Amino acid sequence: MEDILFFVANLGLFFFAYVILTVGLNIQFGYAGLLNFAYITFWAIGAYVTGVLILGPAPGHGITYILGFNLPFLVALIAGGVAAGALAALMGALILRRLRSDFVAIGLFALSFALYDIVGNYTPLFNGWDGILGVLPPLNIFQLDANAFTIYYLVPVGLATLILYWAANLLQNSPYGRALRAVRDDIDVAASFGKNTVWLRWSALVIGCIYAGIAGGLMIGFLSALSPASWASSETFIIWAALIVGGAGNNRGMLLGTFLFVIVALEATRFIPMPANVQNLIPALRLIVIGAVLIVVLLFRPQGLLPERRRIYALPGQS
Amino acid sequence: MNSFTQAIGFGIVTASVIAVSAVAGTLQFGVTRYINFALGDYMTLGAYSAYVLSVVWGINFWISLLVACAIGAVVSLLIARIVLAPFVRKRVSSFVMLIVTLGVSLILSDVILAIASGNPKQYATAIQDEAAFQLGPFLVTPAQIVVVAIACAAMVAIHMLLAHTSVGKSMRAISDNPDLARTSGISVSRMTDIVWMVSGALAAGGGVLLALNTGVFTPTFGEGYLFVIFSAVVVGGAGQPYGAMLGALVTGMATELGALVLTSAYKSDIAFVILILALAVRPRGLLPSRASMS
Repeated sequence: MEDILFFVANLGLFFFAYVILTVGLNIQFGYAGLLNFAYITFWAIGAYVTGVLILGPAPGHGITYILGFNLPFLVALIAGGVAAGALAALMGALILRRLRSDFVAIGLFALSFALYDIVGNYTPLFNGWDGILGVLPPLNIFQLDANAFTIYYLVPVGLATLILYWAANLLQNSPYGRALRAVRDDIDVAASFGKNTVWLRWSALVIGCIYAGIAGGLMIGFLSALSPASWASSETFIIWAALIVGGAGNNRGMLLGTFLFVIVALEATRFIPMPANVQNLIPALRLIVIGAVLIVVLLFRPQGLLPERRRIYALPGQS
Repeated sequence: MNSFTQAIGFGIVTASVIAVSAVAGTLQFGVTRYINFALGDYMTLGAYSAYVLSVVWGINFWISLLVACAIGAVVSLLIARIVLAPFVRKRVSSFVMLIVTLGVSLILSDVILAIASGNPKQYATAIQDEAAFQLGPFLVTPAQIVVVAIACAAMVAIHMLLAHTSVGKSMRAISDNPDLARTSGISVSRMTDIVWMVSGALAAGGGVLLALNTGVFTPTFGEGYLFVIFSAVVVGGAGQPYGAMLGALVTGMATELGALVLTSAYKSDIAFVILILALAVRPRGLLPSRASMS
């Protein structure tokens, strides 16, 4: 019984964290029409920065990382979000000014591979390919054991998810959100109405990446270790698939997509026991199916399972 | 013999590897006007096809290389016809095409992973084991000479195609102005089929060259090399085959010369810096075309 509870709580943690991730990607793609294929990289930056701020100074003996300040979790979490946002701000400033959105995508895609190499090869940063480990469960004021902590940790993570989801909804219905959708639908028309399209797209990129950074910081709390192997580019693709199949632009559709992909397809199958000689087979088949589902949905139902509700505004003078 | 001239030698070899796939990508972009994110996986497909043919089935390596190119051409055409064409008919935006090709990339690399497993593979050709020798100012291995020779032959073939055949001229016409090309009686759908085949064959060949140059390869090695290819494409001006050759030279030289200053582990990061610089400073490329991205 306790095992089942632990299993469900674990899935719940993944679900919440992926909801934050998908909401952030939805701000970039669903609201602003930005193609960020490096999204998981910003998640990783948030997780690493949060992790090394909670950890004490690097012990040496082959384990090296920057910072190591023993900071409280909340401070470290915010710093993780800020770090991810700062990286996005820099990249956005470099490439958003004059490019068609598919070339912005190439720039970000390249960023993900370049950072992957740097983090892996440059060990003083985040301990290279071995990664950081031994991050203690944060906010563990009751000194709970691992299983009880997983259940308890649902509370802060769930709370953060609620706040961020609510904020994203608020953003969507604000004048800012409407301006973003105008930029997404036709950047030239939005510009001719005096909207600062560069600033709008840049800020959406930054906000979305802060979401990714916070999701990463929350996840390092229950993963306790992180190495480059856990943020390969296929992870970004799963979030993309969840968003598009669920319905980009619609936050409820995105919840459905996250549930289908992350819980049903990804995490639930992770615990299926499999023989060692076909270790690659099930993860590979899973990604093949996800890719195929995405392509079929894009072709036959491009608006997703729960499409964005488009509001029609009356023209001035008509009632 | 110093490390600087040696790095220039390596730069020529790397530029040759990049050039073949970069021309594949840029030719296809010029005609279809959207980016193919699965290009890197066509390279992987080529490398693994040649591996199965030459190592597993024991066929002559050079024949395997040619057959791998043919496989690349056929798979590329099939994917374009079956998966991509329905989207093109619906006139979806270029970024939806990007997501679709990313999906194709994921499927291809995982099909290869499921069949071949993730263990690194290596060719068993004799040229890979032969010792390096002195050629002018450079210390080169026979494998490197083969890579450069094949790449040069491919570039000459592409030049002949573009400059002296009606197919090549039609491709350039579509790349320049698709509407005008169509009105002058060029069959855009036939040219699209041909460009996908040429692009697939070149990418598969480029994958074999990359595998020869790096020694070992895995199911994700083409994907990981994709942005180095894109760097060459963007530097040269997307849609411009001669620009891509120039871009390959710039990217190849810069990564190898940069490796003198940094360590060789950061080669791909230098390519990234070049790509970002090109995107930020001169997104139309060194040889801009109408099909560029602004």
